[in-house]
Amino acid sequence: MNELRQLARELLVDEKVDVVIGWEDGRRGARPAFVTAADDAERLIFDTRCVHNLATYLSPRRSHLAELGKVGLVVKGCDAKAVAGLLREAQLPRDRVVLIGVRCGGVLEVPDLPQPAELTSETVAPRCFRCDVREPHLADHLVGEERPDPPRPPMTIDERVAAVDALPVEQRWEFWVGQFSKCVRCYACRQVCPLCVCDRCIADKSLPQWVESASHPRGNLAWNLVRALHLAGRCVNCGECERFCPVGIPLSLVNRKLQQVVKQRFGYVVSDDPEAATPVGDYRLDDAQEFIR
Amino acid sequence: MTTPRHERPPATIYEPQLVTVVDTVDETADTRTLRLEFKDTGLRESFSFRAGQFGEYSAFGAGEATLCIASPPTRAGAIECTFKAVGKVTTALRELNVGDTMGFRGPYGNWFPVDEWRGKDLVFVAGGIGLAPMRCVIWNVLDRRDEFGAVTIVYGARSVADLVYKRELKQWAERDDVTMVTTVDPGGETADWDGRVGFVPAVLDEVAPAGGDAVAVVCGPPVMIKFTFPVLEKLGFTDDDVFTTLEMRMKCGVGKCGRCNIGPVYVCKDGPVFTATQLKALPAEY
Amino acid sequence: MSERPREDPVFLAADALDGLAGDLIAAGTEVVGPARADEPASPAAAAAAAAAAAAGLDKDVLEYRAVSRAADLALGPGMPRLSLKGLYLPQNEALFAWRQRGSDIEIEPAPTGARTRVVLGAKPCDAAALAIVDDVMNWDYADALWNGRREATTVFVLACGVEDDSCFCAAVGLAPDGSRGADGLLTPVEGGWLVEATSEKGAALVAAHAARFGAASAERREQAAAFRRTASERVATHLEIDADSVRDWIATHFDDPLLAALGVRCNGCGACASVCPTCHCFDIVEESDGLGHGTRRRCWDTCQSHKFTLHASGHNPRADQNARFRQRLNHKFAIYPLRFGEVLCTGCGRCARACHAGQDLVEILGAIDVAARRPDTVDVQSPETPARTVGAAAPASER
Repeated sequence: MNELRQLARELLVDEKVDVVIGWEDGRRGARPAFVTAADDAERLIFDTRCVHNLATYLSPRRSHLAELGKVGLVVKGCDAKAVAGLLREAQLPRDRVVLIGVRCGGVLEVPDLPQPAELTSETVAPRCFRCDVREPHLADHLVGEERPDPPRPPMTIDERVAAVDALPVEQRWEFWVGQFSKCVRCYACRQVCPLCVCDRCIADKSLPQWVESASHPRGNLAWNLVRALHLAGRCVNCGECERFCPVGIPLSLVNRKLQQVVKQRFGYVVSDDPEAATPVGDYRLDDAQEFIR
Repeated sequence: MTTPRHERPPATIYEPQLVTVVDTVDETADTRTLRLEFKDTGLRESFSFRAGQFGEYSAFGAGEATLCIASPPTRAGAIECTFKAVGKVTTALRELNVGDTMGFRGPYGNWFPVDEWRGKDLVFVAGGIGLAPMRCVIWNVLDRRDEFGAVTIVYGARSVADLVYKRELKQWAERDDVTMVTTVDPGGETADWDGRVGFVPAVLDEVAPAGGDAVAVVCGPPVMIKFTFPVLEKLGFTDDDVFTTLEMRMKCGVGKCGRCNIGPVYVCKDGPVFTATQLKALPAEY
Repeated sequence: MSERPREDPVFLAADALDGLAGDLIAAGTEVVGPARADEPASPAAAAAAAAAAAAGLDKDVLEYRAVSRAADLALGPGMPRLSLKGLYLPQNEALFAWRQRGSDIEIEPAPTGARTRVVLGAKPCDAAALAIVDDVMNWDYADALWNGRREATTVFVLACGVEDDSCFCAAVGLAPDGSRGADGLLTPVEGGWLVEATSEKGAALVAAHAARFGAASAERREQAAAFRRTASERVATHLEIDADSVRDWIATHFDDPLLAALGVRCNGCGACASVCPTCHCFDIVEESDGLGHGTRRRCWDTCQSHKFTLHASGHNPRADQNARFRQRLNHKFAIYPLRFGEVLCTGCGRCARACHAGQDLVEILGAIDVAARRPDTVDVQSPETPARTVGAAAPASER
């Protein structure tokens, strides 16, 4: 952590950045920190409670943050994947952000703890298992000690997806309709997602009204499925949408499922390489097209 | 069989009255006036409101639009609304024809304190579609002309084609108890234009009606209002004597949904008519 | 402490609760209370529930819902995820349906009479919210949909033992054993609950089911008093503010950096508004169900959404999240008190728990209170002062 704080201090003193966005201690756990004064770099922390995907603060729709100036962003590997996504889609000029990569050994599934805690198989976030970016590649600086592999949870995210997929289709339908019936259309999932960058979300358009805004099953299914499809091939599975959902809809299962489909159909896995060609943004002559009849 | 709406009272405050479109007037290429008659014949006689109040006009299938009641309260029988087709509801309203049914909820909000203006000189300053909420109070005043001092109207739009209520502008100009000044922005004049050319605040400055025992009513785009206020101050109008009507995003119109709340004010209940004093006391969130 | 209860306390034994609930249900009354997930109603639902459990979901979540038997009621510690608000102002409800007939329109209004309901075991903060929102729902125009449900529902709150340190009901003038907005109070004692009716409706319910209630012994009364005292003392330590000073400070410091920079972490997601018992802002939307017929509905909305004040012209008076978050504080702690004499917050703490971006109302209110009451002593070095998190605010002592 001292390495992180020292680097942040230097970047601010040398005016390489105007604000360092990282994590700090809050009353209920870690929370995003916006450090503009070099002395405040002491507040920056990094531990297993630092789940938040800070790349969301780079979104072009956050106009009040753009005013803060050039950003030094602290990123775990998964967060760096989101930054790569923004770069790929030209939502962010590369020179607007200095990326401070942190070496990560996994984070807690429920990080709302006043003190840091060691990871156990019961407490680790399932998505961390077999993470391929524990050291972010997309980074201008890399700090932190090497950490051991995250423990294996009782069920990995793929095993959780499989548990639902194992249901016959009518029961699976009932499962999802039941989960989406809880939706109160707060759009927390969209607001926190780093890749939900649309200036005018399709759900906000009224001419025509593509997605009904009331929370009945028809409207909820439309909203949640549209969002999942718009994220296919782009979602980095940071799990923030699920964590922020106030009614506990298992959104990471939907997004993970679509990641599996994209991998299977296009051989594509989201990474923190901003140059990588994406299935949504690119085509190949040998792309599968057996569905065109 | 459902009881016809006009034969029963509303079940909730959110249920509109039904009105029939009896006339449509295209003021400009994108602005239309609708003249509406209540289906409830009793309401045609008894409906009353005051100049400045607004209503929620329903296009069934699209939603409600918050528009001022553009016709004067002194002329009963029908109400009017004028709107520009900018969104889902106003676009749907423009599709309506004579004979079609719409909804109306209202009147809501406060009003111009016309009675308090008795004996004073009145200056009406409007830009573009901002004439719509003022037309109501202008006719209200002209229908009681003897009660007031000098009446000056300064109205302008981007171009000749953008002037609304053209027929009435002519009527007001023809009256000898009204000083009617019409202007278009530089570049907006046509070859046969015989009005003034210039922005409304500048033209107001030229016309220079005196403040003092006078009241000014201003309505138009925010930038026009911003530049008109200093001119009025220069002419001797105090902030208490300058009235405007505030356009805010509204939904319920009855002080419940929270949308129009700014500072300690709910525009649908404490407004939309405000004096410049009241407006300046609000946070700059309008 | 709480308001003085109206009726003499009686005792409801734990095993008499079943009988009481049964009586109510048999009479056609809906019984609602905090409960865990419902028993699956079909084999498909059972399999879905098992999959959810296998996937580690919905562990032990409490919600307010209708129960078919008393055993489902979880009358103990724990806070239902969403507040009681949804029982009175549903997330979406039809205002009326319309149908085109030639050039005429037929309107079918939503019914305003509501089904008789009894809520057993509501959180006092949730019940108090109902009384507070009553003000705006009856301000000049009476909202018959809200009022209909208020009239048809009898609410018995369960004295709260204080959930965690995000609770701050005492700071906003309420209490963990308060019966504001409710018709009666249940306090946990040995073997069951002490029951005190606090309104005519509550007294009528107790009288109608007198056989289920017994005498309240002196010992049980003392247990109840002790429980309530401990809880009140505990929650008072979480946050102490002078709500009037906070109100006045917010109303006069609109552009103060402390107020204008609080939205920096906020995502504008509206999760706080969804879980909040007093947030009542709504949108009105029109839905066509087909050609020539449709429904007009209202649904929850939030000032945190960028669309809330967006004009059709594209102009947005609250253009960024700082402005929107400021409005939240303004409306709840300054505007509503100025208009209606009440803080639009019951200190339930759900917003602090639901916000995973660290927007913490306990901390924010504390900082504003300090600024309002003791401006000379604001410790600008303290990390708890929100203004410091951005670092750009002028020190309070320079204002």
